[in-house]
Amino acid sequence: MSVREKSAIAPKNSYWRQMGKDILRDKWLYLLVLPGILFFIIFKYIPMIDLRIAFMNYNPFAPDKSTWVGFAQFEALFTKPAFLKVLRNTLVISISKMIIGFPIPIILALLMNEMRNIRFKKVAQTLLYLPYFISWVILAGIIMNFLDPSNGLITGIIKAVSGKDIQVLTSKTAFVPMLIISDLYKGMGWGTIIYFAALSGVDPQLYEAAAIDGAKRFRQLLHITLPAIMPTIIIMLILNMNNILNAGFDQIFMLYSAPVYDVADIIDTYVYRIGIQKTDYSFTTAAGLFKSVIALILIVSVNFLAKKTGNEGIW
Amino acid sequence: MMGRKVKGTAIQSSVGEKIFTVLNYTFFIVLCLVMLYPFWHVIMVSLSSPSQALRGGIFLLPKDFTFSTYVSVFQSKDIYSGFYTTIFVSVIGTVLGTFLTALTAYPLSKDRLRGGKVLMFLVLFTMIFNAGMIPNYLLIKNIGLYDNRFALILPLLVSAYNCIIMKSFFRSIPESLEESARIDGANDMRIFFSIILPLSKATIATIALFTAVMYWNDYLSTVLYIQSSDKWSLQAVLRNMLTNTQQAMQSAGVNVRAQQNTNAETIKAANIVVATLPILIIYPFVQKYFVKGVMIGGVKG
Repeated sequence: MSVREKSAIAPKNSYWRQMGKDILRDKWLYLLVLPGILFFIIFKYIPMIDLRIAFMNYNPFAPDKSTWVGFAQFEALFTKPAFLKVLRNTLVISISKMIIGFPIPIILALLMNEMRNIRFKKVAQTLLYLPYFISWVILAGIIMNFLDPSNGLITGIIKAVSGKDIQVLTSKTAFVPMLIISDLYKGMGWGTIIYFAALSGVDPQLYEAAAIDGAKRFRQLLHITLPAIMPTIIIMLILNMNNILNAGFDQIFMLYSAPVYDVADIIDTYVYRIGIQKTDYSFTTAAGLFKSVIALILIVSVNFLAKKTGNEGIW
Repeated sequence: MMGRKVKGTAIQSSVGEKIFTVLNYTFFIVLCLVMLYPFWHVIMVSLSSPSQALRGGIFLLPKDFTFSTYVSVFQSKDIYSGFYTTIFVSVIGTVLGTFLTALTAYPLSKDRLRGGKVLMFLVLFTMIFNAGMIPNYLLIKNIGLYDNRFALILPLLVSAYNCIIMKSFFRSIPESLEESARIDGANDMRIFFSIILPLSKATIATIALFTAVMYWNDYLSTVLYIQSSDKWSLQAVLRNMLTNTQQAMQSAGVNVRAQQNTNAETIKAANIVVATLPILIIYPFVQKYFVKGVMIGGVKG
């Protein structure tokens, strides 16, 4: 710090001189961080340059012949019924997943927190987290087995219970609920973990004091546990906003088929089919950019709102 | 949570609370069984005779127990090339990615670093804004990585999320440790490699495991960046077998004549088991590291 004080005597250029000194002092740190920063620039930022093709009529076979078209691709997005349908599906699926999938891990974490048998709790947690680590390829394989039209276990159960022959994987009414349930299966256990992180920080003395004051378990939950995890709930809510246009590419891509495109085709699957397979790069890049921008706006504004209302944001 | 035990003994719990406890445990037992059953079921199908599997109705135990399906699965070339690619990608990706994450996060954990905030923003911004599928695809084509196994590795090396976890951890290391090394004349590079890294083994293990699982389960990268089927990842090979019955039969070396002895149903199930088993076996031993990672990340840095 004495270096800083000395340079304060000479006001002119001292700021820059100090900065030069600091940079020289930390030269090894800059060297350490360099490869990582290069990684982010090459693999995350350089592709952003290619977002310009959303404003072009890009010719993938002769890029030089591409022409600038301004916002024409975006106008096309919102006049094309196909895209509007895909946008609607994306919102329906992701919002339903959120409404059901967001509170359930919180409830599970609270219930688990009431368990006194540490051993049982550990085993239960291990089993509940498991599906999170299994890929959608594998889970979809299992789902297809369960829902096999002729010999699937669940197909059989549905038939026995309702008497109807419902093919979930090709049914426009049953497909989306299936997505929600299977998403819950994969994610709800793991979703609890972040709340446990918050709960582990609660001072046990609080519970003791409350118990001595005669507070029953439910009141303790309401007045100690819930407030303790509130900041985490809000942060998770903010992070979820970023995902509102992510309805789950891997999951849907593995399970959907032409008969359910009407309800299950989402922006990402659409971009893949039209963009990569049919090489309509400009239109689909515009669709992707639209998605990214909406996500960005949502997360920034929700974070702003959270901070404005006195909560902790994510930055 | 230890303190809560005191309450149970000090104050008698009411009847309502006792009922709740019983229901709570019952609920979680059922839930755990539901979590496990799908895996159990697939294993049982894979161990049943093909004709029984085709008929369905397998609940708890295999019908006409047989290993024959696994014999034909392991005769398939594709599954080996899938394992080869996935192990290659997972090992190189995990080692390189974890190392790079630590390298990136350490300087960013220092408040004194000039421009550190800007660099951190550069990293964090990638978490909330993504160029999207097509630009990423074009990048891989333009830098000549298309149809190269490294296209499965490089784009996923470092994630902003892992950087945050790592950075939070580095911040928790007391500055005094570094100070004493600095007095002994060590520079930041030496301090990082000989003091910080050895102290960070547990966190590094966590990041490594998250990275390994991500590479092991990655399917999309193959679909986007790999053409030749001999370079497909395990997930892509498996996917192909699951959706393409004919493919599944052929790759398992089953000719038309032999089809009465086997069928796609059991082969699919066996393939699922083979691809899942490595995770199921390793998972219980490493689970605590995953939890640890979230705990560190949860304490926002």
